[in-house]
Amino acid sequence: MFGYIRPQKSELLVREFEEYNGIYCALCRSLGREYGPFARLALNYDCTFYALLLFALSSGGQPGFSKGRCVVNPLKKCFFCRERNNSLSSAAALTIILAYYKVCDDVADSGFFRSLFARFSLLFLHHAHKKADTRYPKLEKAVSKAMRKQQTVEIGNSPGVDLCAEPTAGMMAELFADAAGPEKSGTPAAQVLRETGYCLGRWTYLIDAADDLPKDIRRKSFNPFAVKFQLDEKSPPEALKQARYYANSVLNGTLSQLDAAADLLELGCFEPAIRNIIFLGLPMMQRQRLFRKENGNVRSL
Amino acid sequence: MSDPYEVLGVSPSASDEEIKNAYRTLAKKYHPDHYANSPLADVAAEKMKEINEAYDTIVKERKGRRAGNAGPYTAGQTDYGRYSAPSEYADVRNLIYSGRNADAEQILDGVPTENRDAEWHYLKGTVLYRRGWLEEAYQDFSRACQIEPGNAEYRAALNQISQQRSGMYGGYNPYGTSSDRWSGCDICSTLCAADACCSCLGGGRMC
Repeated sequence: MFGYIRPQKSELLVREFEEYNGIYCALCRSLGREYGPFARLALNYDCTFYALLLFALSSGGQPGFSKGRCVVNPLKKCFFCRERNNSLSSAAALTIILAYYKVCDDVADSGFFRSLFARFSLLFLHHAHKKADTRYPKLEKAVSKAMRKQQTVEIGNSPGVDLCAEPTAGMMAELFADAAGPEKSGTPAAQVLRETGYCLGRWTYLIDAADDLPKDIRRKSFNPFAVKFQLDEKSPPEALKQARYYANSVLNGTLSQLDAAADLLELGCFEPAIRNIIFLGLPMMQRQRLFRKENGNVRSL
Repeated sequence: MSDPYEVLGVSPSASDEEIKNAYRTLAKKYHPDHYANSPLADVAAEKMKEINEAYDTIVKERKGRRAGNAGPYTAGQTDYGRYSAPSEYADVRNLIYSGRNADAEQILDGVPTENRDAEWHYLKGTVLYRRGWLEEAYQDFSRACQIEPGNAEYRAALNQISQQRSGMYGGYNPYGTSSDRWSGCDICSTLCAADACCSCLGGGRMC
């Protein structure tokens, strides 16, 4: 469930977009420095958003940026955040922990040959994960708890969509509420963050499920929408389309809650980028992932 | 108290018109209607109060010149669903409005299935909605309206959640006509996708 939380580039100022990229690059560097060069492969947009949020909530103000060369592609010059602080380390740890559980899941879910790459990366991630766990035990606890809950939910008797989304949503709620720092716990600010996290986690889980629906049906993997509409390989395309439209309305409902919560967020730096992601990037992703194959005729319906 | 101009996000040299506009935009954003049934209703109401106070302060300060008659939006009408008709579930309602969702749910769940009337479904829906379980909330609101189609309170809750699902308050409406933003050509979207692929391993530049 990676890569859904992204900005809509065309609506950002060039400066704001460069800053966004600067954080992306800085997170990559941080991963490389703390967990070795292979860890850079785990870099994703979702954890970049988490890093942005941590910066926005910290009292440090706007971090400094400098120019350098990209390590992965040395021909390219990049603009990166030169700060080495807790926001970046914490986001790097989250990246590793999430990647570790995703790979574990892949190994468990797929056959021997398909999981070869996953098995290989697990060798390396195992060590990195341990390191991240000792540094940020709270993050690890939140994620592992959600993974355990998810497993219990999936083996239940045809669980509803809300129940399926609960573990991921709860995990993000916890991560976001903690992002404000311990001194803020219990305050309205933490409450707003918790609600924002809950809705964002719910949205992420649901869009991932909706996006993977055809694949999950083919591989007979668990999918809440397949359960709800009782879809299998023999289902007609109309049934799939119906499920997709249903998923879209569930996502819309979730975003309306998220927008209301995000309006109450008090952010320092990177506010335009964060607002862009929530108010424009997420709807854009919904359109791209759920309706990209239907051209033109969707609107003429 | 913090600087009223800062609260409204305008400079102290802004014109009356600018201040009124800033105030209106913010008041719309934090309007209690947007937070009906939301667990964040209190936080939004607090924010609304702050804005109202800031606006009042500025208007008073600039007394002498007429500041127009944009009377402050009242944050007072959060009385959503708190109505005077005698209710079997008065205690549940009180629990919900004082934020004790789990206790309210416990009482509701204790009601045997055959006694669950329209109000029960409405309240259960409200509890679920506040928890973020929007799908089950939707089903309960629908059920409440089915049993008692004439009830305005249940109807309002169902309308709100249906509108949210349709993409009216964020998200994407596939039938939408208003979203001109999305009508970009297919080449552009293809390029975007291709671009995104390039940047997942590279330096992260989307272009």
